[in-house]
Amino acid sequence: MKGGQVDARGGIQAGITSFLKEALSKGCFDAVMIPTRVPAGDSFAWILTDNEDLVAGASPLPPVMPVQGARALSSITKKGKAPAKIAAVMRPCEVRAAVELGKLKQVDLANVTLLSMDCPGVLELSTYLSDPTKGDSEFSRLLDKWDAESLRPVCRSCTHFSATASDIHLGLLGAQAERLYVMPLTPEGSRVTDALNISADQELDSWQAKVDEVRQKREEQRRKSEVELKERVEGTEKLLATLSTCIGCRNCMRVCPICYCRQCFFDSDALEGEVAAHLSRAERKGSLRFPLDTLLFHLGRMSHMSLSCVECGTCEDACPMSIPVGQIFSHVARRTQELFKYDPGKNRYEPLPLVTYEQDELHDFEQPYVKTYSGKGAADA
Amino acid sequence: MDAAFEPKLVGFLCRWCTYQAADLAGVGRSRYPANLVPIRVMCSGRVDPLFLVRAFLKGADGVFVGGCHPGDCHYIEGNLRARRRFGVVQTVFSVLGLEPKRLRLAWISASEGPKFTAQMKDFDAAVKKLGKNTAAAEVFL
Repeated sequence: MKGGQVDARGGIQAGITSFLKEALSKGCFDAVMIPTRVPAGDSFAWILTDNEDLVAGASPLPPVMPVQGARALSSITKKGKAPAKIAAVMRPCEVRAAVELGKLKQVDLANVTLLSMDCPGVLELSTYLSDPTKGDSEFSRLLDKWDAESLRPVCRSCTHFSATASDIHLGLLGAQAERLYVMPLTPEGSRVTDALNISADQELDSWQAKVDEVRQKREEQRRKSEVELKERVEGTEKLLATLSTCIGCRNCMRVCPICYCRQCFFDSDALEGEVAAHLSRAERKGSLRFPLDTLLFHLGRMSHMSLSCVECGTCEDACPMSIPVGQIFSHVARRTQELFKYDPGKNRYEPLPLVTYEQDELHDFEQPYVKTYSGKGAADA
Repeated sequence: MDAAFEPKLVGFLCRWCTYQAADLAGVGRSRYPANLVPIRVMCSGRVDPLFLVRAFLKGADGVFVGGCHPGDCHYIEGNLRARRRFGVVQTVFSVLGLEPKRLRLAWISASEGPKFTAQMKDFDAAVKKLGKNTAAAEVFL
């Protein structure tokens, strides 16, 4: 990977904001969408601004992820191309979700410059809220050490923590003290670095080495946690035991960047049944929990959107019952994405797996010609 | 295996091919298991993943999707899309240990009446081997 360097004398966050401030003043973009600490001080929110002072005081890499950036970007550009150039400063998982939403026509990336940075992960929202000061100091320690103990479980085993489909990636790993790497990844990115006179022809070997090192650790962690997760969810009984605390608030769906449908099947009348039908079903079973369809909701969501799941873990953060829904989703999503060799958010021009097809594929899922008919003995079960 | 166990099968059959094959089987006096509930859809591509999940959770012991052979779809590509969706659902089932073999996808054209019978007999036998769908008895669905 090739890139250049910028100054980060006041720390990583200040380095990023001063880079943005300069780009803004040189007219590389007209506005910046960036997370900022809320006035109350205990959380972060997205702002869209062209005020350089506000950008300078923003937190490009907050310790928590209360709103997924792609959702924020979607709320701006859902209805079409932005008339002015917007720079969206997001974590890698947010960039990936934005790219997926672009394919789903919920974000228009036409006039948006995506900026990402190496992300150590985020803290659990509830933990952070209980003591923001402690959370802040823990996060700055994380930015320095890149260990994973205090992160959310999904972040601990995240392997997409670095450069993705953004226009410009800011490398924190392996950089010298008080420096940041800047990598233009697209022509749009190069336009910005050229305007800022950053020569991006340096080979960033130390960054690459460090990224590979962290990735290896994360992959190992992932293997370990998947074994543990399997123990908790594999089989109807265990899966139900894990999901049975679900209170049906649908928070996981509301906060999910990918779940965008304006009319969700689960909000529709399709699931409403007649009283008599409910009674007879309950009678047949002996007893039945109401409201219905907890498992249908989760399995349905997995079948509908796991192909675009970017494993951001926002769903798990939003779950009031602490169900490991993000871990389950990411576990399932890896397998369904594997089917189509699809890596969500990696390539803006690669079509979604469900809008395309091939004549000759997935034959493992077809039941072959049954042998009994051709008279060659027992049926294959 | 419980000899008295008669599985309940739900079949989503494409109007142009597999449903016609079921019809042909009937006309040809070829018997297929009576415990199949055929549901006619205009195309296998109409089958939303939720149809399968919902049938399974409501206690169907086996869920079948039948469409035209690839290349023969009345709507040109519906079955190819159906195959992708089916693949996703079956993968979700196998990752979570939910007996993916209770879901089956097969291509049976309108002229393949006897093949439809054979396929259904085979599915019935396979599901009998798996036994009752445990989801049918679960209270906390």
